[in-house]
Amino acid sequence: MFVVLSVVHSAGSCPVIGVLSNVIPLLKCNGMNKSWKSYQAGDFFDELITPKGQPRVAARQAVKLLQSLPRDEMDARRAAAELAIKEMGISFTVYTEGGNIDRAWPFDIIPRVIPAKDWAEVSTGLTQRSRALNCFIDDIYNAQNILKDGVVPSEIVLDSPNYRPECAGISPRHGVWAHICGSDLVRAGDGKFYVLEDNLRVPSGVSYMIENREITKRVLPELFENYSILPVDDYPSRLYQMLASLSPRDRRRPCVVVLTPGIYNSAYFEHAFLAQGMGAELVEGGDLFVDDTDKVYMRTVDGPVRVDVIYRRIDEDFMDPEVFREDSALGVPGLMRAWKAGKVAIANAPGAGVADDKVVYAYVPDMIRYYLKEEPLLESVPTYLCMREKDREYVLKNLKDLVVKPANESGGYGLMVGPHSTKAVHRKFAKLIKEDPRNYIAQPTLSLSTAPTYIDDSVQPRHLDLRPFILQGKDCWVTPGGLTRVALVKGSLVVNSSQGGGSKDTWIVEGKK
Amino acid sequence: MTMLSRVAERLYWMARYLERAEDTARLVMAYQHIIMDIPKGSEPGWDVLISILDANPVFNERYRAANEQNVLKFLIADRDNFSSIPSSIKAARENVRTTRDVLPEEAWEMVNELHLYVEEMSEGSVGRRNRHAFLEHVVSRCQMINGLLMSNLSRDHSYRFIKLGRLLERSDMITRVIDVGAGDILEREGAFEAIDPLLWGALLQGLSAMGAYRRAVGPLVEKNAVVDFVFSEQMFPRSVRFCLSGIREELGPLRSNKNALRVVERARRKLRRFDPNAATREELHRFIDGFQLTLNDLSAVITDTWFEPE
Repeated sequence: MFVVLSVVHSAGSCPVIGVLSNVIPLLKCNGMNKSWKSYQAGDFFDELITPKGQPRVAARQAVKLLQSLPRDEMDARRAAAELAIKEMGISFTVYTEGGNIDRAWPFDIIPRVIPAKDWAEVSTGLTQRSRALNCFIDDIYNAQNILKDGVVPSEIVLDSPNYRPECAGISPRHGVWAHICGSDLVRAGDGKFYVLEDNLRVPSGVSYMIENREITKRVLPELFENYSILPVDDYPSRLYQMLASLSPRDRRRPCVVVLTPGIYNSAYFEHAFLAQGMGAELVEGGDLFVDDTDKVYMRTVDGPVRVDVIYRRIDEDFMDPEVFREDSALGVPGLMRAWKAGKVAIANAPGAGVADDKVVYAYVPDMIRYYLKEEPLLESVPTYLCMREKDREYVLKNLKDLVVKPANESGGYGLMVGPHSTKAVHRKFAKLIKEDPRNYIAQPTLSLSTAPTYIDDSVQPRHLDLRPFILQGKDCWVTPGGLTRVALVKGSLVVNSSQGGGSKDTWIVEGKK
Repeated sequence: MTMLSRVAERLYWMARYLERAEDTARLVMAYQHIIMDIPKGSEPGWDVLISILDANPVFNERYRAANEQNVLKFLIADRDNFSSIPSSIKAARENVRTTRDVLPEEAWEMVNELHLYVEEMSEGSVGRRNRHAFLEHVVSRCQMINGLLMSNLSRDHSYRFIKLGRLLERSDMITRVIDVGAGDILEREGAFEAIDPLLWGALLQGLSAMGAYRRAVGPLVEKNAVVDFVFSEQMFPRSVRFCLSGIREELGPLRSNKNALRVVERARRKLRRFDPNAATREELHRFIDGFQLTLNDLSAVITDTWFEPE
């Protein structure tokens, strides 16, 4: 251990300036830290390093600077980031049998860099997708033309547990149901972005996107010197504008609230973060009530105050015990009544999850052609639907090469990565698929892109994905970048924070100054 | 600005718990001074601290002897004692955690930091060696948090309920500190006459009131003058009278404040009518007991009116 350290010191050609612990000195020196020397991107597309081992153009400055940092300096920066996360109280909750654990947010200090011109294409593609998905949901709960025209088989929509008959006949303002969409993108071996899934129910993670930038600014300030990076911290005001555009009452400042299940929810940190960022009240079910004219009020020290827009961060099953789960103590009795009567806007609208289904996902390109008369700009991953006999036969024969996912789970639960699983697991999934084909889809195992990640004491490639957020109200807006999640375990493809994933700051950088 | 009833309640308790932690730390520091100054053999026991905080049943359930080690452990490091410093800070933190959206952004970071500090250090701070540094740190952090709230919070309902909680808790703790000097706790009238100035001086110090007392009253520390100063001085922010005026001021703009104002007036009247010069230690102690009940009434009325309205 000590031998290695001393090698780093003597090899580093840069003078150590000052004390390295808290004060972050400006390091202007060349030469490469040993941690990077053995970096090999492997057979995957690497976000920062070319197959020849050179930094990509957009990442050159950042990589050069990081490579010049001696290892103890990298460690100091990492420690500073961990401390900042602890002090800022950035945490998430993991549910376990032994109770819930509040864990510090796992963060890798090396940012991911994406050139702005690449991002512009992705952003346009996401806007297109969000428009089509909203057309689809609005159609399903009203005319159902897409089913009548046979573009999407009606049984996969109407038999889905995500289809809510209670929502039929409603058309929310601007025809939009999925106001906030978190789409998961991956970059495959060809360097292209693919949409892996669209989260339309209560997507989370956006606060971490903002805090990741904040941490990087604190611990690696000199990285920002030579870059023009699109800012991400105006998300809460964009969110507020979008939500305000949904208000049923025409007021200068509509009353917007964030409805949270409470402190024990894994995303509570984010609920509070967004409420604060919007200057909105963070309410729990018990804070709201619906009167006999179907208006929604919150209980305040000045008496009841009328609510116009609810940004709901509770699952629709728990939203209204009058309509959905009776045993829900988190919801507000009468909320659906109020929403149907048009007295309150709810984002995302109840029922929006009908398009958040891995089987429906397979039809999104068709939806884009059907509703928008456009060709899809973003790639989707080829998807085999186990409900189709031909697809199922193929899937069962090729389990070892495929990723199998349940249609209705999120958070990376219940999925099988064929090439990384044992034969016994293959057999288990074959059985599951045969028992309930509608609930399983399979996709080819993508060679997810990697990025340099600081693991223990060296920089190693780790797989990652990207979750941008799309806001759709009167207008549509996409976050510049999004939340990059990284699988910290070597070779792993599972990036979910509940399963040992970490995250990175994501930079959309404009061309050289 | 609207304020949810639930949020108002949490802010109120956050402020009470922070004040409780700070005042407990002050109390322990002051009491330690007394013990060190009093000649060996005649010093009062550490159990006095338990009595002041009305914690005898909880303490006796968990400890056999009320010696220095146990009492300090109970106050500084015992998480099962819901009034201990770590419990108070933890409760404050939980309340900030669920109200951080209405507080200045740094509030959560500061309270969380203090919580982490207390979690890490309290165990090792029971002994005399590290105790003082620990208590001082707690006091100064609480002051920082108060300063942050004072200088950054809009004077709206959030500020109002925080101030109500802080002043109510502070009034309560001031009377408890004065109760140390009252006869009942120190058992016999006149038993500590020789050390009276030391005792009252330490109590003033525990209330951060020594300097203000000297400037307003003079250098001579004497029981009646101290009680009068700490109860009724108009200009001193850690006097009971000052706290009650602050409470009245914050109740003013609130809706349906009649009942609460009535209780505050009752407390003010009681305070006005009490004459320290005419009271024995026993009477002083009885007065404090009765006054604390009035403060409890006030807290109950605030809860009924604004936190759990029907």
